[in-house]
Amino acid sequence: MRPLARHTLLLAGLALAAQVFMAQAFAHHSFAMFDRSKEVTVAGTVKAFNYTNPHSWLQILAKDENGREKEWSFEMEGPSTLMRAGIKPGALKPGDKVTVKAWPLKDGRAAGAAVNITKADGTVLDPRRGLRIPTT
Amino acid sequence: MTLRKCVVLSFTALACFTGTLATAETKPAAAASVKMTWDELPDWSGLWVMEGRIIFDNSGKDPTRQFPPLKPEYEARYAAIVKDAVAGKEFDPLTYCLPAGFPRVLAEPFLQELVLRPESVYWIHEQQNEIRRIYTDGRSHPPADELYPLWEGHSVGHWEADGTLVVDTISLREGIYDRTGAPHSTQLHVTERIRKIDANTIEDQLTLVDPVVLTKPWHVVKRYKKLNDPSLRIDHWACEEDNRAVVKDGSTDLVLPGEGGSKQPGAAGFREQAEKTPQLKSQEK
Repeated sequence: MRPLARHTLLLAGLALAAQVFMAQAFAHHSFAMFDRSKEVTVAGTVKAFNYTNPHSWLQILAKDENGREKEWSFEMEGPSTLMRAGIKPGALKPGDKVTVKAWPLKDGRAAGAAVNITKADGTVLDPRRGLRIPTT
Repeated sequence: MTLRKCVVLSFTALACFTGTLATAETKPAAAASVKMTWDELPDWSGLWVMEGRIIFDNSGKDPTRQFPPLKPEYEARYAAIVKDAVAGKEFDPLTYCLPAGFPRVLAEPFLQELVLRPESVYWIHEQQNEIRRIYTDGRSHPPADELYPLWEGHSVGHWEADGTLVVDTISLREGIYDRTGAPHSTQLHVTERIRKIDANTIEDQLTLVDPVVLTKPWHVVKRYKKLNDPSLRIDHWACEEDNRAVVKDGSTDLVLPGEGGSKQPGAAGFREQAEKTPQLKSQEK
């Protein structure tokens, strides 16, 4: 039983071509480095949550398949967008147990663009919710 | 037309009328411009976001590109950019924390605010704190020998009696309209008719003329919706603070936290470095 060792790579079966330019549209940079046809799920412990421009970064320590500790980096939206998503600077603290679902980097490094983060109490944080702002 | 309004017949000639203006009979033909007082300015308060996809012209269906009337050589260049992007090779100047600039900034998805004054309008964009300054005090553009390419260009404007802001912008840098990479030259000349079409919608009708790149004027309509949360605010967006995007083999890539080598380590990087460098640490205190 390895509760912190789930690195499951799921084919999401997304139509990639139609996503070009659109899915990445809210980042300050191109999203070409991420593989949006796949999702990676990483369960681990928060090392740091850097609430910075132009993007925030969530650093996670998780065990790999061989039980060795590995650090993952997950890019999130910038502070203003996270704030609108209800994800405040203290939402993720070092030591918190979380499960991160992300689009992985294409080059295989341990990183991705966070799709959502599930906390130990079951709360799900959706960093992109801040981009779907209710208008009047 | 109210008695209080002075009619600006051109950017340089001003005349005040004491009765009903002739424009009632002669409209619309380049509707007469009016000088707005503080009390007469329309209410464009609040925060606004662009409606539709993150693309300059939303009238097309293709999610990967748009269709400005490009001359053949620019169409070929644009097609190559789109082909690269579909193949996963993309570059965007925003990667370097450069501004979007005008008119691309009109197609960016973040918060916007319009500050109306009798003599000027400031159109403020959250992304990288970009500000367009539109002068409505009757001034003209600077003389030709003072023009050089600018991110927001030079904008002068005037009001029409129904609350339409008419804006003329020149002196722009070469650039792209959005992330699909459709190009424009420094010769781009943009006129806009901006008005509130209902309580929660501002519409900007643009005419883009670019004798270098376009075969004919390009008409684009953009709309902005008012946000319903009065507690929202625009904060400073320091893009260089912790920018980890770099360009590798002509495409955008990332330097991850802890990898080092980031071009702009920024505030977070400084702190990490300070832990290892006593000299920096003492400066931090």
